[in-house]
Amino acid sequence: MFSRWNWVACGFCLMLNICSPDASSGLVQSCGHIIPESPVLALGSNFTALCILNESCLDFGNIYASQIIWKIKNRLVPKEQYREINRTVSSVTFNDTSALATPLTCNILADGQIEQNIYGITVTVGLPPEKPKNLSCIVHQVARFTYVMTCTWNPGRHTFLDTQFKLRYSWPEEIFPDCIPKDVNNSCTITDIQFFVNTEIWVEATNALGKAESDHLVIDPIDIVKPLPPQNVSVSSGVLPTVLKLFWENWISDAVMKLKFNIRYRIVGDTNWMEVPSEDTASPRTSFGVQGLRPYTEYVFSIRCMKEDGEGYWSDWSEEKTGITTEDKPSKGPPIWRIIDTSHSPASWTVHLMWKALKPFEANGVILQYEVTVRDKSSLSSPLKKYNVTSTNHTLQLPEGTYEVTLIARNSVGASPPSVLLIPASNSKAPVKNLRTLPKHDKLWVGWTAPNSYVLKYVIEWCLVSSSSDCNIEWQIALGDVKGIDLKGIKPFKCYLITVYPLYADGQGSGQSVKAYLKQDRPSKGPTVQTKKVGKAEAVLTWNHLTVEEQNGFIRNYTILYKTIDGNETVVTVDPSKTEYTLSSLTSDTLYTVRMMASTDNGSRTGPDFTFTTQKFGKGEIEAIVVPVCLAFLLIVLLGVLFCFNKRDLIKKHIWPIVPDPSKSNIAQWSPQVPAKHNFNSKDQMYPEGSFTDVSVVEIEADDKKSFSEQDLKPFDLLKKEKSTSEGHSSGIGGSSCMSSPRQSVSDSDEGETTQNTSSTVQYSTVVLNGYRDQTPLQVFSRSESTQPLLDSEERSEDHSGGADSTAQRQQYFRQNGGQDETNTDRPCFEGTKQITLAGEGDLVGFVQLQISGQSSQPLGLGMEKNTQEAALSNVLQTCTEGQTVRPETVEENPLSVDEMPKSYLPQTVRQGGYMPQ
Amino acid sequence: MAAADSPSAALRRDLCSRGIRLAGKMRADVVDLLDAYVEQQGLDASASVAAVEGVPLAAVERWDEQTGTQRLLENLAAYRAFRALLAQMLEEQREQLGEADAGLGRALAAVLLQVSAFAYHLEELLRLESRGIPGEEGDGPPPPPRLSLFEQKLRGLGVLRELAQWAVRSVRDLRQLAKPSPATGAAPGLAESP
Repeated sequence: MFSRWNWVACGFCLMLNICSPDASSGLVQSCGHIIPESPVLALGSNFTALCILNESCLDFGNIYASQIIWKIKNRLVPKEQYREINRTVSSVTFNDTSALATPLTCNILADGQIEQNIYGITVTVGLPPEKPKNLSCIVHQVARFTYVMTCTWNPGRHTFLDTQFKLRYSWPEEIFPDCIPKDVNNSCTITDIQFFVNTEIWVEATNALGKAESDHLVIDPIDIVKPLPPQNVSVSSGVLPTVLKLFWENWISDAVMKLKFNIRYRIVGDTNWMEVPSEDTASPRTSFGVQGLRPYTEYVFSIRCMKEDGEGYWSDWSEEKTGITTEDKPSKGPPIWRIIDTSHSPASWTVHLMWKALKPFEANGVILQYEVTVRDKSSLSSPLKKYNVTSTNHTLQLPEGTYEVTLIARNSVGASPPSVLLIPASNSKAPVKNLRTLPKHDKLWVGWTAPNSYVLKYVIEWCLVSSSSDCNIEWQIALGDVKGIDLKGIKPFKCYLITVYPLYADGQGSGQSVKAYLKQDRPSKGPTVQTKKVGKAEAVLTWNHLTVEEQNGFIRNYTILYKTIDGNETVVTVDPSKTEYTLSSLTSDTLYTVRMMASTDNGSRTGPDFTFTTQKFGKGEIEAIVVPVCLAFLLIVLLGVLFCFNKRDLIKKHIWPIVPDPSKSNIAQWSPQVPAKHNFNSKDQMYPEGSFTDVSVVEIEADDKKSFSEQDLKPFDLLKKEKSTSEGHSSGIGGSSCMSSPRQSVSDSDEGETTQNTSSTVQYSTVVLNGYRDQTPLQVFSRSESTQPLLDSEERSEDHSGGADSTAQRQQYFRQNGGQDETNTDRPCFEGTKQITLAGEGDLVGFVQLQISGQSSQPLGLGMEKNTQEAALSNVLQTCTEGQTVRPETVEENPLSVDEMPKSYLPQTVRQGGYMPQ
Repeated sequence: MAAADSPSAALRRDLCSRGIRLAGKMRADVVDLLDAYVEQQGLDASASVAAVEGVPLAAVERWDEQTGTQRLLENLAAYRAFRALLAQMLEEQREQLGEADAGLGRALAAVLLQVSAFAYHLEELLRLESRGIPGEEGDGPPPPPRLSLFEQKLRGLGVLRELAQWAVRSVRDLRQLAKPSPATGAAPGLAESP
């Protein structure tokens, strides 16, 4: 060992040039070594190492112990831990070996402080083994004659060292070979086990730091045996239908070990095991009869064994074997119920008898057939009717009445006790009270309060309520002393209709029903809401109830949620029975979003959004606006009409002022020849108030002056002479105004108000005698309605104009459209005019009004009233004086027409070149 | 009764009980071993074999008149002889078959252990009787003369048959010893023993 480490250490030193001085030998020798060599140290202990230098190196290398330094894994050991023993030996001490590491090297500082390695050792630190504890052994039977003993123990703490464990066992006079564990340190298996001899067993743990031994266990291996389970188990049925006999073989002979047994069994399909009482199987055996079993039931059996005295361990359970007990008579009659269909005729029943197949432990075999017996209790003479049925239902056609149905199930061994069902004519007995349900885990408990009368039993019907199919009735019978039962097979989130009938000895009570859920959930969908009617501030919402499949529970309420686009949501809760709701206080002409939520006890589900827009106007609002407006309009119109009607004279006066008929001018009165006419045509008669008079103008072309005689033109010459005085004066308001102020007359002609300002306006027509080119224009006469007293000159001219008027009948005439009175008054005038025209044809000297505006004459209407025309007309009006100068002449020429002229008419002279009204 | 309740009495009873069961198991194992041995060695199960030298006969006259110590001593002598014979058989078996039939060898070794254990039981019972345990005679019985292979097989068959009979007798002997003495609490035979 030393030489090996020597070489290893030398390997460390080669590079440090610490070599043997005898290089020729080829071997490298270290200049020192460490004692102890590769120690194994207990963790936590102290440790001292010595580095011893070779004497040969002292002289050659000039090195001494005082130059030694110690290192642990290239980490310098503090010099406080060094001690120079002599010039060749240095020691280092560690108070706690846990600070140690590998390698520990001895080095030297040579000349120039060059560190050179002398030697190194490997230090192993660990712990001595602990005493193994909890040693226990078990003997496994692996074959009929083969047993192995496995012992386990607690090896204790980790030692960090290679620790050997040995399981040792011996007899007092014989020590057996040790059992050395393989790959583990806490168990070992011994194969050559001998029973009936106390064997001493113990464990030894050994490592470099020590040895530990467990407590000694003295035991007879036979007392710690775990035998093999019984084999070849078989089951056979006996004569009795409640007994099965088991047979098996044991692996261990009685000579070695007497056994006791455990037998367990269960019904096939059941998970719960039952055990035969242990005292029944506490002795050695190879068979056992299991009693108290159900007839015609398949059982599973399993057996285990152990040493009879209870020392040792139970074997594993044997393989499972099954056996079936033999049949027995059915232990009870099948539960029976009925459904009576009276849809065809109340007097003729279709009775659907139905019964439940007996459970296996009730049937005790294979049910071969059912025997149904029907007895009409209302008629003692009617015979019994018997039916043999193989199914579990039977339909009968029976007349209405009371029947007793008896049902018997029969198997190969015998018949069951009978089940009796009384079918009364009517369910007139008292029903159950306070029917209620309560979910219990996966069952639905149905409870009720019993009627006062004694009840034989109750029939509980239930069915899954569906919107798409009929109720498929299930039923169950409970005894009369029961106040509630658990319904099994109830699905969660489904609505069930449960009905309970009490059955009495002499009749049957009416059924009481209740709807129930085993478990509720929120609806699977929400209601789809829509509007039925939308108004200005309200909307009628409608929806359909959720189907029962969608409800998943009892709908407790509907919730309507509506809002505008940017408004807060408003929530309204609605009774679940309703399918319509009216939203009120809505904003008109607004888009609303509404959705509906159905709620059960376990949550809610919202339906799709629906949007609608409220109307801008409410119902009847348009009518409320339009009708009054129309009525008001009509009223106003009516009032206007009435007003106009009442004021028609005034209106007529303003709109169609009475235009004095020139032919009725007062000028005519001026004529001495027609003074009498004034008597016939008074001013009131001729021009009643408010009458209108159309004016027609007859133009007389200037070119036609040839047609005028010289006499006729004389007056125009006079006008011409007066031109200097009248020119520039517009047409006046009558002779008086014209005479008084020419300027005043101009303003009067421009503004119609003038006529209104005066109490009696003066209307006038103008007769313009327009000269052609440089010719002297004709004299123009206007009519006037002035009430002002005529000036003397006017009166005189009027007298003249009256004669002129009558003389101008052939060239022009006036048509007057006025009131009826006026018409009546005018008509004679026109007629008169015509007559005059016919009478005075060819005599144009004494004309009243003439307009000479070209070669053709044009009639003049109301266009004269236009301002422009008036203005133009005013320009062409001649001074009244000119007219006045003419009039006496014309009057003199045609005295007959003067009688019809109005008094207010003022003939005016049209200035030369004046405007001709169109 | 007081003696019956003493530790030595309990130990004796336990030793007897354990010895009875050991003898019973030894009997069963030897019977099984006999079948295997006959088959393995190619012998006839009905072959007659002469008495094995050095082994006391199991069948004795006036068995019920024997004392307890006498029974124990005869049993001890017989099983010591069987231990030596079985060890020799095991060695011969290994020489003949090597490891070819380890099962038979293991069975022989197991019976050998049982014989040793039963001898230990007998020795313990003799100690309880305050009787000295006779020492084994030197190196045991003189080595048997060199036998032929067939003779070895026959002798082995004889040893096993005799061991089976001794196992039966030992059960009876220990049951007899286990019976409590009405007077002294000791086995009646022991008082009569010399």
